[in-house]
Amino acid sequence: MAADPIWWCSSMSLLDFNRLVPAHIQSFEVYVPSKPDTEFMRLYGVDHLYRLNNNENALGPPPEVFDILQAFPPRAVPVYPNGDCFDLRNVLAEKFNKDPEQFLVGNGSCEVIASVIKAFCQEGDNIITADKTFAVYEWVAQFSGFEAKLVPLKDHAFDLDAMILAMDDRTKILFVCNPNNPTGTYWNTTTMTDFLDRVDNRALVVIDEAYCEYVEAPDFPDGLALMERYPNVIVFRTFSKMYALASLRIGYLCGALDVVNMVRRTHVVYSVNTLAQRSAAAALSNDGSFIRDTRKMVGDAKALVCPLLEELGLDFLCNQGNYLMVHLPFSDTLMYRKLMTKGIMVRTMTGFRFPNWIRVSLVQMPVMEEFCVAFQQIIQEMRPQRG
Amino acid sequence: MIKLNQPVLMELQADMAWIPLVQAVVEQGAPVLGLDRSKTLRLTMAVEEIVSHLARTALGTKIGFSLKPYGWHVLAEFSFRADPSHLWAMNLAAKPNLSDPNDLDHLGLLLASRMVDGFTLHLEGEVVHLALRQDCSYPVVTKIAADPIRSKGKLTIVPAPESAFIQAACVRAVNLYPARKNHTAFSMPGKVADMVAQKDMDMALVLDETSALAGMICWQALSEKGIGFFGPYVFCREEQAAALLTEHLIQRVARTKAMGLFSELATPELTTKEFESLGHFSYVQSDGQASREEVWYRHLGEDMGASVWAHPAMVSFLSAAYGRLVLMRDIRETCGFGEALPRRSVFSTQLRPELGEATLMPMVTGADAKDCVARHVDTLCRENFSNIFFKLDLAFGWQAALGGVLMENGFKPRLLLPHGGRSDLVVFQYEPA
Repeated sequence: MAADPIWWCSSMSLLDFNRLVPAHIQSFEVYVPSKPDTEFMRLYGVDHLYRLNNNENALGPPPEVFDILQAFPPRAVPVYPNGDCFDLRNVLAEKFNKDPEQFLVGNGSCEVIASVIKAFCQEGDNIITADKTFAVYEWVAQFSGFEAKLVPLKDHAFDLDAMILAMDDRTKILFVCNPNNPTGTYWNTTTMTDFLDRVDNRALVVIDEAYCEYVEAPDFPDGLALMERYPNVIVFRTFSKMYALASLRIGYLCGALDVVNMVRRTHVVYSVNTLAQRSAAAALSNDGSFIRDTRKMVGDAKALVCPLLEELGLDFLCNQGNYLMVHLPFSDTLMYRKLMTKGIMVRTMTGFRFPNWIRVSLVQMPVMEEFCVAFQQIIQEMRPQRG
Repeated sequence: MIKLNQPVLMELQADMAWIPLVQAVVEQGAPVLGLDRSKTLRLTMAVEEIVSHLARTALGTKIGFSLKPYGWHVLAEFSFRADPSHLWAMNLAAKPNLSDPNDLDHLGLLLASRMVDGFTLHLEGEVVHLALRQDCSYPVVTKIAADPIRSKGKLTIVPAPESAFIQAACVRAVNLYPARKNHTAFSMPGKVADMVAQKDMDMALVLDETSALAGMICWQALSEKGIGFFGPYVFCREEQAAALLTEHLIQRVARTKAMGLFSELATPELTTKEFESLGHFSYVQSDGQASREEVWYRHLGEDMGASVWAHPAMVSFLSAAYGRLVLMRDIRETCGFGEALPRRSVFSTQLRPELGEATLMPMVTGADAKDCVARHVDTLCRENFSNIFFKLDLAFGWQAALGGVLMENGFKPRLLLPHGGRSDLVVFQYEPA
């Protein structure tokens, strides 16, 4: 990049737009979300599109949310939502036996990630997370001008020792996605407490439990309980996954009062709409049968897909969460295009440092059966070409 | 050589009176930006000819002029309002009619285009942007026969190699691979190091445990969404080096805004299971033997679909190519319906004389397009260029409309490069019946 010009023969100023933009913004690549279903269906010439790319819960939302949606009065639309989700925070506090002030609700958990980073990081600071995990921790840090130290996964799981080793005096936050998206691995209670002991309050630890409701393993740690012992722990949860409120964009964090009080200073109020607040509160009222049904749906899907992947001789990761990953013998982006012609959308993982892997959301049986047929057909069609 | 990294900008009117001033700027400025005396003189002459041309054909028009350093080259850029078809004399095949005084006014452009290492021309509304590129001079290495090494221990990727390693890798590639598999700049290792420093090229190496060079791969942005790679060049006997380099390349480019990765020059060591074949070119080598160059492609993201322009004669080729690649495109047909066109066309030409290879791209399509294509083919064939390619960017209807003319002139659509330009590129090859 050329430096400032020497003006010659003319003193007229020109707008040098790039000069106004910080280097860390200029170098950041824009994330381009996918097009609407109708546009994809037209392009690919299909009459349906099953989105198995975003780990949504196809069963949802819980029936209690239906009632809220159907009864939502139009007269409530011109009125601003409650600015800090007062009612919902009270529901959360009662459910988890916390103080309502320990909760901060955001427009999806992405918003609370940004709020935490803004509250604790300043120039020269860094955050630590894994190289192959939910990418938003890394992205928010980078476009905010902070270093994201990315620790390679070990056996597809967060590497405790390497994360501790990566810490320095400027490390402010460590993000642990538990269970990890996209590998589905998790740290059990022993590993998590070992980690927190070794961090020793030198930095904040965010435990992102976006998929915790899918985990049935008895040794899975409860972040909300751990924060009583470790005041540097902040837990993220979302209503987008298990509770199937993805289109309403609502998630929350919970932490020690002092910590949350700091985060609240950087958090934009009024960012969560009324319908989302009410739906989230309603969803929490049914986390028995709805969660049970969802877990059964995911279990059934795993039972269908995993044997097929074994039969086809493909490597795959099927751990916690409502998704699995498959390592293909050819390009993941080619599999994506071929599946799209059959009305099925999966997540390509090359851009998430898993070249030739796809991630597939696990949903209801008829859709998973259709996925299996299409997937097997493509694999068999590609095998003769690839040897 | 110490080069200042500061551009010089000026604004003037097209008038003969300003020629000495512009000459002085280039003559005094270009050495400061890194050009040697010989290259500076040639650029000075070229710039003088452009201003002189504009003073004759567009007297008084406002000219924006800049001289900018880019590490391994200097760009002299002009912007002005004028009829772009007046620049026809910059065509490789330009032949002024010596009895026509209007044509003689353009002789200077012919000279200018031959004085520099490259030029580009594009239009933004009515403003013509003309950039003359003059490369810095670098020592050239010649091939010395060598053998691959036997590497020791674990191979490790070096994602951002230092200059000395970059230059050593170029020398190894020159020694171990035939010229047609090497980037043109490899024979000038210093230039490659400057290109990498300037971010006009990226390179990764593999070293063994003794830091011996075991392999290299390099890549360059072809467009905003397309990346072309060269390699992988393997300098050791271990097959693993190629796979390591290829995987590293994909991981590096996957998190950029690029959507497509192509082999500009793929070596036999490329791990092709990661890629899709786009087809192949037929090459005539310097000894007259024919060879095939397969082009490999890796789509890097989730295809969002797009619309492209196409001349009706190209549609069947495009439909088949898009079908094979499972890429969704709305193909919009375009061809001339008698609309007003500039009188004359301007094509850019990239030459690799050592390989008998020429690649043309349209910069201005005029009413003489058919004759202009024929003249270029004729000139190139007479100069023994046996491998003649023509690229059209399907983002632009005016480029796509040229497809019919190309096919009438003996060109056949050979390859589709998704995201190779502003949109997808079609590469035609001259294959006379």
